[in-house]
Amino acid sequence: MTAATDAATLGLRGCEVCALVIESPADGAQGGGDLRCPRCGHVLHLRKPESLERTAAYLLTAVVLYIPANLLPVMSTSSVLGRDSHTLAGGIHDLWVSGARELALIVFIASIAVPLLKIAALVLLAWTSHRRSTWRQAERAALYRLVETVGHWSMLDVFVVVLLVGMVHFGVLAGVEPEAGLLAFGAVVVATMLASASFDPRLIWPAQESADERR
Amino acid sequence: MADEPAASRHNARMALRDPEPAQAGRGPAVRTDVYVCHECDAVHRRPRLARDDVARCRRCGAVLARGPGLTLDGHLALALASAVVFAIASASPIVTLELQGVESVASLWDATRLTWEAGEQLVATLAFCTAFLFPLAVILLRLWVLVPLVAGRRTSPVAWPLRALSFAMRWSMIEVFMLGILIAVVRSAGVTDVVLGAGLFGYAALTVLLTGLQAAGLQAMWQRVDVRAGAEGAP
Repeated sequence: MTAATDAATLGLRGCEVCALVIESPADGAQGGGDLRCPRCGHVLHLRKPESLERTAAYLLTAVVLYIPANLLPVMSTSSVLGRDSHTLAGGIHDLWVSGARELALIVFIASIAVPLLKIAALVLLAWTSHRRSTWRQAERAALYRLVETVGHWSMLDVFVVVLLVGMVHFGVLAGVEPEAGLLAFGAVVVATMLASASFDPRLIWPAQESADERR
Repeated sequence: MADEPAASRHNARMALRDPEPAQAGRGPAVRTDVYVCHECDAVHRRPRLARDDVARCRRCGAVLARGPGLTLDGHLALALASAVVFAIASASPIVTLELQGVESVASLWDATRLTWEAGEQLVATLAFCTAFLFPLAVILLRLWVLVPLVAGRRTSPVAWPLRALSFAMRWSMIEVFMLGILIAVVRSAGVTDVVLGAGLFGYAALTVLLTGLQAAGLQAMWQRVDVRAGAEGAP
């Protein structure tokens, strides 16, 4: 572990949006208003405000909606033979038995594994940061980057169902309709993306900010 | 200034030294000799980066900066190509299905409209925004910023299109949509005959172009923005 110097210790701030580095005015001088980035106008917080509270709220939303997203059907198919409902897991099963095993694996990873691992990872990150833990900080930072990178791939099944609805409409012969589970699943994906956007990875490194006022 | 060249190609790690003492002045003074890691707040002296160099934070491993990659001309060329391909992909059918003589032509429009009419308005909106609206915004905002820059106009670009661009890039999901098309095709191929349309190849090309734009980043454009631009344009 390298001893790194924090921007706060040196009286510097880096802009999260445009990466400009500025010297923050002497403490107290800025008491009145928010310090803004002179280039892009973004408010320069030392840490994102209420980061952990927001992350926790979005995570809770995601966990609650995860249940209907997996239990309710995401789509129904109709044909002359009748009507069928399909859950997320059912769609993966259909792909698997139809012989498209690689695609079944991709959909399983995107729709089931990624949302679960993402929720678990963010719970871990938020909890350890809340405890101001110094446990495996570099690994936690890498985990956060992974969550940010793979997060939007969970939207895959939303697109698949919407496309099937647009593709298969042959009146009484064959049709696909979206069902309520799809809305719950889409909301899970959006909630986890908002949760990871709300989490401030700088909270993984709490030790050096001790001497400074927070925020 | 930056007297410490990156140690190696790819993943050059930087040593930290104390930054130079600051001079007092009115308003926040801008420091061009250091990076502040956006993921852990560690301060690094700014090295000179060669092409293909990547500067990573010594503490947390986040990418701090990349060496000069795509020129502004290159950015503009990619953005223009994306605009053309995007128009083709949006206007063409993605696939055509046939079942007992009945044809069904599918596009993103039909898919979102039928989803909307089936009562899932929120899902339709979500799909429309992430597969159409935000990718469109990514392309148009880039052109908005790049055309005057490359044309050499005097006025420096304003900051808000670049801020909007950061947001739109986060919610643009063309590459996921592309994979979704493939899976939907495979799933419907068991029931009907599927003929691939120009839209599918358009989205495939767009995936490559937008991934290239994403990787090129926004720093080349931010560096052209006047450091006092945010003071007036702040929302």
